[in-house]
Amino acid sequence: MRWVPLILATMAALALGLAPRAEAGDRYYYMGYGVVQVIDGDTDTIVADIPVKGAVRNVDLSADRRFLYVTTNRHLVHKVDLAHNRVVSTADVKTDGWDRVMFGFVLAPDGRTAYGAFMSRRADKGEVFIGKPVVAQFELDTGRIVRSVEVPWGVAHLVSVRDGSSIYAFGQDLYTIDTTGPELRIAATQPILDKGMNMLPFWDYTFDNGGIASMNYYTATSMGLMIVDQKTGVIDDLVLKGDPAMAYSVVLAPDRKRAWAVMDDLTEIDLASRSYLRSVPIAEGTCYGVNVSSDGRKVYVAGGGSTLTVYDAKTLKPLKVLQMASDGMDLRRVTF
Amino acid sequence: MKKKPIEALNEKAKAIERLAEGEQATAEALSQRRMPQGCTTIFDTGWETNPRPTYPVGNCQASARDFHGCVGDCWWPAQMPDGLTNHRDFDVQCPNVARDWRNLKYD
Repeated sequence: MRWVPLILATMAALALGLAPRAEAGDRYYYMGYGVVQVIDGDTDTIVADIPVKGAVRNVDLSADRRFLYVTTNRHLVHKVDLAHNRVVSTADVKTDGWDRVMFGFVLAPDGRTAYGAFMSRRADKGEVFIGKPVVAQFELDTGRIVRSVEVPWGVAHLVSVRDGSSIYAFGQDLYTIDTTGPELRIAATQPILDKGMNMLPFWDYTFDNGGIASMNYYTATSMGLMIVDQKTGVIDDLVLKGDPAMAYSVVLAPDRKRAWAVMDDLTEIDLASRSYLRSVPIAEGTCYGVNVSSDGRKVYVAGGGSTLTVYDAKTLKPLKVLQMASDGMDLRRVTF
Repeated sequence: MKKKPIEALNEKAKAIERLAEGEQATAEALSQRRMPQGCTTIFDTGWETNPRPTYPVGNCQASARDFHGCVGDCWWPAQMPDGLTNHRDFDVQCPNVARDWRNLKYD
């Protein structure tokens, strides 16, 4: 009988190794309302619809690239199996009688928990209680809060750095949260708003960029890019020359020498010279999300409204417009 | 004495005024920071004051493409359904605003 544990462990390892993976190539995940749609990067066609409950907001990718975690309605976390294009489990962070909303979501390196920035409230006997804003670690299976640290009001986004040993929490300031001790703690605070920087960091494309978060911000006169290296935690602050382009989000080109920004226009940015190169208006209208193929040849804009437009990166001519099932929040790329 | 911009006329309004007697300022106007101002009480997005000279100035185009993004997080709460509290399943009723807006039913 002493062989049983070994046999079971071997079977489990084999099962993991043999678990089906998504086919090789670029897959784009359109983050919609009640649905995540999968687009094949070779044919630029919709190849799967993944029903999810709620309006998608945050997304993170598991370290083994098998699962996408998709948050909806600011309180649900869906685990999506990327080989089978289906939701395999859902957790709700509304636990312990608290009604929580989550702005910002990143997976913890343990694979079992994640971090979220929460605002909370509850009612008891007709009286309303408002919880302190916190960044909290919670269980992905149950939504149960494991530990938390109070943060100033306004945290809108999280980026995990240095193998999860620190979490950057972007609000009116940037808070560095140390996760290595028994309790979470704010280890450093850097001003954002007080430096005249105004940002909406809902889109960062960390896994699409290969471990680099890219977020744009505005001062009274310029647009800037905050580029966060997840591995080192180093933040590059690039102020772009010239009148600001208006953009919700910015993704890096694979060579990391250029970037693409989107709102009403699709704009190409040269990172070395910190300048704008080209810009074209998007015929379908405002888009929230932008992404780029792994070979850099195609640029995708989507979300806001219910369209996805594919551009030739060289000519900036639209190649295709897909009508999606719903309006959307973002477009993410996973390369298998 | 500075003239009040609005005046309580009925009993309910006067009761609200009595409640507010002695009240001090509890919020700081972001406009005093000399920042670009935006549309939201969640996290100021002043950059959304689009400087392009075309219509609609200072907003997404078409505005319907920004509708769900605003509903979900309760931006523009006076103009949009409140997706965080009162209309949490708004996306079910109207997943595509340009197509499904006739289905909108909210108070």
